[in-house]
Amino acid sequence: MLALDGFLDAHTAPQFEETIQSEISAGRRNLIIDCGKLTYISSAGLGVFMSFIEELREAGGDIKICSVAPKVLQVFEILGFQSLFDIVDTLPEAVAKFQEGGQKG
Amino acid sequence: MATGFDASRLEALLESAKLLQSSLELDLILKHLMRTAMGRLVARRGLLAVRKQGALRLNLVRGAASLKAGEVFDEAQARAAGVEYLFCIGNESEPVGLLGIGGLVGTMQAEEAEFLQALLGVAASVISNAQAHDEARLANTMLDQRLQELRALLDLGRGLAATLDPEEVAQLVGLTLAGRWAVGKYAVAAFKEGQEPVLRQKGMDLSHVAGLQEVLLALPEAQLVQNQDLAESLKIPMGSLLIPIRTQESQIGLIACGPRMRGMSYREADLEFGAGLASQAAVAFENAWHFRDTLARQQLEKELNLAASIQRDLFPKSLPVLAQCDIAAKNRQARQVGGDYYDVLPFVATGPTDPHMLVVADISGKGISAALLMSIIQATLRTLLRRESSLLEIAGVANELLHATTPVNKYATAFLVVMDPATGACKFVNAAHNPSLLLRASGEVEMLDGPGLAIGLFPRRTYQEKSFEMHPGDILVLYSDGVNEAQDAKDDEFGTDRLTEVVKANAGEPAEVIVERIFEAIDAFAGAAPQFDDITLMVVKRTP
Repeated sequence: MLALDGFLDAHTAPQFEETIQSEISAGRRNLIIDCGKLTYISSAGLGVFMSFIEELREAGGDIKICSVAPKVLQVFEILGFQSLFDIVDTLPEAVAKFQEGGQKG
Repeated sequence: MATGFDASRLEALLESAKLLQSSLELDLILKHLMRTAMGRLVARRGLLAVRKQGALRLNLVRGAASLKAGEVFDEAQARAAGVEYLFCIGNESEPVGLLGIGGLVGTMQAEEAEFLQALLGVAASVISNAQAHDEARLANTMLDQRLQELRALLDLGRGLAATLDPEEVAQLVGLTLAGRWAVGKYAVAAFKEGQEPVLRQKGMDLSHVAGLQEVLLALPEAQLVQNQDLAESLKIPMGSLLIPIRTQESQIGLIACGPRMRGMSYREADLEFGAGLASQAAVAFENAWHFRDTLARQQLEKELNLAASIQRDLFPKSLPVLAQCDIAAKNRQARQVGGDYYDVLPFVATGPTDPHMLVVADISGKGISAALLMSIIQATLRTLLRRESSLLEIAGVANELLHATTPVNKYATAFLVVMDPATGACKFVNAAHNPSLLLRASGEVEMLDGPGLAIGLFPRRTYQEKSFEMHPGDILVLYSDGVNEAQDAKDDEFGTDRLTEVVKANAGEPAEVIVERIFEAIDAFAGAAPQFDDITLMVVKRTP
């Protein structure tokens, strides 16, 4: 589980990317991104999600997203992310999504 | 309006109208309308068409398999499918829609027709409202999309401004596009002569594109790959979006984004967005590369300065004063540090009548490596002078030592002279260096030369020791190829004849003046042409 805080933009996206990469390198395949404290996300930030989703799903894993603030959720929706990712309200729901199995997209 | 309606009909009409008006969703409205109409009339077939982009298109079809939702309404087709009654929704000259009914159990009652007309009157305004709402929503979505594009460009612009690393530029461009279009497969490649190629890719491979300049140059601004040949030559999937990265002069890279997920396609506005982003990327790549070049240049300059200072320290601060000898030497470095070296070293004892070795050498390579090799040669010669008694032995051992301790591309040409100031007897070995000039007091000129390879090149002994004697008034000139190969603007060389002339003309002057006159003559000859190589001169004059 990774928690995002503040702005995820072109400045901070590379750092987020490295973090995810190191999680994957450590063998983790099921990632939950908690966006509870995320106040802004740019296309570059969303690009990080896209950069790993295929790789993770091919390995049988997934990324689930939870606790997204309405303003951020709007960006997810505009760019069509809710049809590609499981975006749920709370962390327990995200965990439950993994237990259900299955992948979106 | 509904004067002929009984209470139950009026009630049903009111209820339907209320239901219709409670929704702004066109689909719900049409379904409700269809249910009501078919239910009231006990009809088995029904169709609903609404005006969309100027044409009436079928939206709902019931019990008529030959008619398909989405198609343009055609009256003959509808009639053939068993739709018997057609009602306009709204104004008859330009209806917002059309209701078709067929397969009634009996015939249509006048009251039912009237009821339907009344209901359609209400439906007309409700449908118009819902359509307007849909349009507004669509416009809103488009606006949101454009806004998001602008934000993405702005965010990327800020990110690119903060980096001078080409890899990071590619990373930001890739992430922004992947996020903007929700694609998991993408690649960014950028390349420039003299720069490491930049490649950032996920799920596709563009490592081969740098070699495909011609294909790349033929690409328009941004395009969808719909051509099998192009897809194959670039090894990317059909339906990918290709965006060349160009500066005003050249093609510097390519962005490829895989097909969008969930069957979405790239729109015209996406191509524009991609092209805009690529031009930002082009500037950022150029800046990053320029910065790298500047850094590398500064690094090189630093190294050259360091080499130059090492070299300066290796030259003797002053030359020893030897009996009956007037010795002067000078080295002038070219802009790029070369590897000339001169020295006068005592054989064993340092007295004015003790034998000394005179050296002029030209060391392979430039910069730090040449300076280091020079210091190795100096140390080797100093050590050997104390140990070995013969010049031939010194040259041979120096060759073996240098060959054994340095890489093959490190060697030096050298002219070595051992002179006994007491008698004027000299011996020399030429290790592939320029012949030296010996101008006798009589005016006779001898070129001193001998066989042999550069020191450090091969482990074999190839040298020969030769002897000559210096008498008062004789002048010996050792020099590097920077002297005879100095060029003028027409690429003509200074040559040994000019050198001889200058020495002859100044034979009466002290050695130091002769050295200066030679330098002046070279400069006058070269004019504005730059000095390519180090110039080194040593003049020894035998005095009475």
